[in-house]
Amino acid sequence: MTCAEFQQVLPEMLEGDRNTEHAAHLASCSACSDLISDLKAISEAARQLRALDEPSPRVWNSLEIELRREGLIRQPQREPALVPSRARRPWAWMVPVAAVLLVGFGIIVYQRGSDQQAEMAKNQAPVAPAVAVLPASNVSPSHRSDDDRQLLEAVGTRSPETRAQYAVDLNHVNAYIQDAEQSAQSDPNDEDAQQSLLNAYDQRAMLYQMALDRSLP
Amino acid sequence: MQRLNGGAKLVSAVVLSGAVLLAAETRKEFHFTVGARPTVSVTNQYGSVSVKPATANQVTVTAILRSDKVEIDKGQSGNRVDLLSHLLDGANAENGRVDYELAVPSDASVILSSTSGPLRAEGLHGDVTLEGANTNVDVREISDAHVHVKTLNGPITLTNIRDGHVEITSVSGNITLHSVSGPHVQVNSNSGWIRYDGDFGYGGEYYLSSHTGDIDATAPQDASIDITARSVRGKVENDFPLQPKHTPFVVKAGSAFAGTMNRAASSVKLFSFSGKIHLKKR
Amino acid sequence: MTGARKPQGDGLSEAEAIERAKQGDAEAFEVLYNLHKRRVYSLCLRMTANTAEAEDLSQEAFLQLFRKIGTFRGESAFSTWLHRMAVNVVLMRLRKKGLSVVPLEETMETDEESPKKEPGAQDPSLAGAVDRLELQRAVEALPPGYRTIFVLHDIEGFEHNEIADMVGCSIGNSKSQLHKARMKLRDSLRTSRAAKAEKP
Repeated sequence: MTCAEFQQVLPEMLEGDRNTEHAAHLASCSACSDLISDLKAISEAARQLRALDEPSPRVWNSLEIELRREGLIRQPQREPALVPSRARRPWAWMVPVAAVLLVGFGIIVYQRGSDQQAEMAKNQAPVAPAVAVLPASNVSPSHRSDDDRQLLEAVGTRSPETRAQYAVDLNHVNAYIQDAEQSAQSDPNDEDAQQSLLNAYDQRAMLYQMALDRSLP
Repeated sequence: MQRLNGGAKLVSAVVLSGAVLLAAETRKEFHFTVGARPTVSVTNQYGSVSVKPATANQVTVTAILRSDKVEIDKGQSGNRVDLLSHLLDGANAENGRVDYELAVPSDASVILSSTSGPLRAEGLHGDVTLEGANTNVDVREISDAHVHVKTLNGPITLTNIRDGHVEITSVSGNITLHSVSGPHVQVNSNSGWIRYDGDFGYGGEYYLSSHTGDIDATAPQDASIDITARSVRGKVENDFPLQPKHTPFVVKAGSAFAGTMNRAASSVKLFSFSGKIHLKKR
Repeated sequence: MTGARKPQGDGLSEAEAIERAKQGDAEAFEVLYNLHKRRVYSLCLRMTANTAEAEDLSQEAFLQLFRKIGTFRGESAFSTWLHRMAVNVVLMRLRKKGLSVVPLEETMETDEESPKKEPGAQDPSLAGAVDRLELQRAVEALPPGYRTIFVLHDIEGFEHNEIADMVGCSIGNSKSQLHKARMKLRDSLRTSRAAKAEKP
């Protein structure tokens, strides 16, 4: 049996279909026995690639928002039984606010148009284009300031310093959003401005999530 | 006699307060046996979390609790270990503090959060997710993994990250990346500055952006990049002789530049609204 | 911040989580997601070789599953159900993008990109040892058709008849394409090993 003949029957042989002729060739040909052991090693190493990678936390974040939107999750987030009742969060209302913030922002990007932008939004923030039924005005400046006031009141219950720090951070973030919005409006083709708007909203969502203390997966 | 009495009082007061501190501060150690590629999550309120690699398939946790106003809830579910600092009535930033030191298998993924305490991870090749409001972050010697950092304030330093999928978002933390490379490196800052010092790897996408923070990128002459840099209201500066490229990008002296170096394997984008941008030669 | 979180999945079995998810329990969904996220995401990532797409597809697979969780009766394994769902979601996306998920039937195929080498001709043998990361990169570089079969069979452990069913090809085709995929991987692993050996 030549190497070429051997290689022709190799697939069946690897499935267990082996005869004495094959065995004799293998015993005498190191190239073919190397080949067999390499193919086996590849097949065995392949198992290690199963469940190898951890998805980004944003996959669960988007999924959770979508499950809530579709009504599959039908109750507010459960409070851990071990936590004393005083630790219940008075700012639970912010969960939908944070969700709407992200969703509403997605609509702006979605309405603006191109597939590429929608794709960008999906990659950057937990957003599905299917949510375009909600009004985009959720993220108007007046809504922003209302939400911010409530957020500051809520974090203010922890300490005046916390409130002051959040106020400074919110100012930074809102200034960023304003700049990015202006640039994007003055030149709708300005991809940098579009991306910055995404970045600014990412920061705002992060800030709300931190205030909610529920940002980790 | 009077003086002696005073001295004795002082000594006993010192001894007593020392005893109170000792009684209040407790050190705890936990061990968890885990399999390959475990996930370890620590949710701290006040205090530091530091993670180092260990060889054994074991997670070892050493925790210093500042008082009895804080407890640690711990649990293991399969290959996942969770630790949570759980504040009791009357806890504050001082007495609610817990400092954690963990030794984990080097292939572990770690998820660490602390509202106000340094977070540090080193020597791992599993994913690293760090979050905190006012938190110093130090991540080093990580390879072939996701490194995700989210903070509001506090400096962030990443050193020697290879083959990383890096995403950093911070509002006002200053961000330093030293020898960080990989297929995807994205930094989203607001008022904090960004400093990148490295060779931009080969074939990755690098996107560093800020609102008002300055961006400095320092690279060697043999860096292989396709770069665009733009500051809407700030200045840009470039020390390299770049090859021009065909692009719709509007090159505007002083506020934007674009070009390639060597084989242009990695794509680099630097963008700011009012920060200064400087591409420097190493 | 005083709002504390309970460690996830603490004490909740998969069966309990499924029942509670049917009632709309948020934590139960998260437990199920955490139990299977790595497997599903890795499957999507291996098959698409694109992180953003893999994230998107993982989300889609879980979403489709959770939408139907009310119909899950427990007679088949939940994980089998989920993995099949994930494979279908990925295959649909690949088809939509016009990428071949069905490998070419082997008749008359001329393999110009990798001319046949005599076994052991130049590159070193793998000596029966394959590095996980090298293999991961080599799998990513496979043409989509080969990649699909290799991922489904060697990584995910599906049988040829199941693959033929899902992908829509013959069992014989699945077998022969798997063999070719392994041979291509061997070539690329040996080449990269030889290149590494040349470096100082």
